[in-house]
Amino acid sequence: MIELKKISKSFNGKQILHGIDVVYEKGKTNLIIGASGSGKSVLTKCTVGLIEPDEGQVLYNGKDFTAMKLDDRKEVRKKIGMLFQGGALFDSLSVEENIKFPLRMHASMTEKEMQDRVNFCLGRVNMSGINDRFPAEISGGMQKRVGIARAISLGPSYLFCDEPNSGLDPGTSILIDNLIKELTEEFQITTVVVTHDMNSVMEIGDHVIFIHKGHKHWEGTKDTILKTTNKELSDLVFASDLMKKVRKLS
Amino acid sequence: MKILQNIGEYFILMGRTFSQPTKASLIRKQISFELNSLGLGSMGIITIISAFMGAVITLQTASNIDSALIPDYTVGFTARQSMILEFSTTIIALILAGKVGSNIASEIGMMRVTEQIDALEIMGVNSASYLIVPKILAAVIINPFLAIWSMFIGISGGYLVAEFSGVVTTDAFIEGVQLDFKMFSIYYALIKTAVFAFIITSIPAYYGYNVKGGALEVGVASTKGVVTSSIVILIANYVITQLLLI
Repeated sequence: MIELKKISKSFNGKQILHGIDVVYEKGKTNLIIGASGSGKSVLTKCTVGLIEPDEGQVLYNGKDFTAMKLDDRKEVRKKIGMLFQGGALFDSLSVEENIKFPLRMHASMTEKEMQDRVNFCLGRVNMSGINDRFPAEISGGMQKRVGIARAISLGPSYLFCDEPNSGLDPGTSILIDNLIKELTEEFQITTVVVTHDMNSVMEIGDHVIFIHKGHKHWEGTKDTILKTTNKELSDLVFASDLMKKVRKLS
Repeated sequence: MKILQNIGEYFILMGRTFSQPTKASLIRKQISFELNSLGLGSMGIITIISAFMGAVITLQTASNIDSALIPDYTVGFTARQSMILEFSTTIIALILAGKVGSNIASEIGMMRVTEQIDALEIMGVNSASYLIVPKILAAVIINPFLAIWSMFIGISGGYLVAEFSGVVTTDAFIEGVQLDFKMFSIYYALIKTAVFAFIITSIPAYYGYNVKGGALEVGVASTKGVVTSSIVILIANYVITQLLLI
């Protein structure tokens, strides 16, 4: 479980996050939604420690991550897997070496054990057999899946996904969504997904947080979002004709 | 004020780079890769430039000696001193600042904008150490060898000009090359080269590491890295020369 308490952050005097409180529960897919520039990526980066919040606490299983020393943070980070918007695979390394990288850094495994783990992770994301290819040689969707394979290679307790569907076709988007959902439930991971994609919200949104102008404006589930009366949330979720029709049908 | 801020941030980055070392096995692998990339990858250009520099120094010195009182071996002596003291160290460093520096700034800059550096941090890796230390160490190790190679090729270029153009006899050229040779000149050149290697790698790495934005900003960082490291090389050259030779 991850708990955020009163997280605030400003850049150059402009307040981006205003005292956000959230609890991300274990085994659930937690979605952060909001318009561009609303602060959802900053919130996620504060959660994983890529940005230091000005105020507030980030608690991983009750332990205050924001107050930890660097070495203690490293221990927490070993349990974090993250899928970045563009995949963020290391260009100079093959798919296999990308997935082995966290294992080489943190696991005491033999080459054979690492190889087995790589094959397991690639198999889990339906990407077996591309071990020797380089990131530039595979498609965006494949890069995302390899990114997930790398994120789960150390068996993380927490999985963060930043816009996992951006730039993907609808079919691949659904595949990635389902994969995230399956992995979350299978390994009982605390998963946090930052997304703009309303299909994702409806598919995997166990817990949805809506960020508006740096405030937590709404919190619920994929079922309650259809009945929301919150104007800003409605404007975001039901912006398309398709979603308006879905709302009518519900 | 911006300059002071950059200097401060540079030293903070260097502190971070060397304070939390990455796993030795990974660093070793990276150093070996960088030795090949930064060292062997620069051999071609260094060979060509050094040969022509040695040849031109020989021609220019010979053509400017009008007085019969100045012995012919002065040409070889001048070629040797110029190559060892300045050309194989400072000029080669300036050329490498362009070639290697822009490469480092753009490589690390692209890693920044494509979130690869964030990915390293999330994995609990000190990204500054993992990315910058191997480049600095590889350059500090390999550049002195490149400087010695440049000296050898430059003086050889001068010898070949003496042989084929006839501006000076090869015997006189060799006599000049051997005249009043001081081993300290080589030590001085190697010390300079090692310092320049640090500058060539660390300054572009700083600009690349702190890129914010996209491809345009990576290009700007690359240019800033090359320009700044070139200026710092010239300043360092003056300071080292003042300290060691005067």
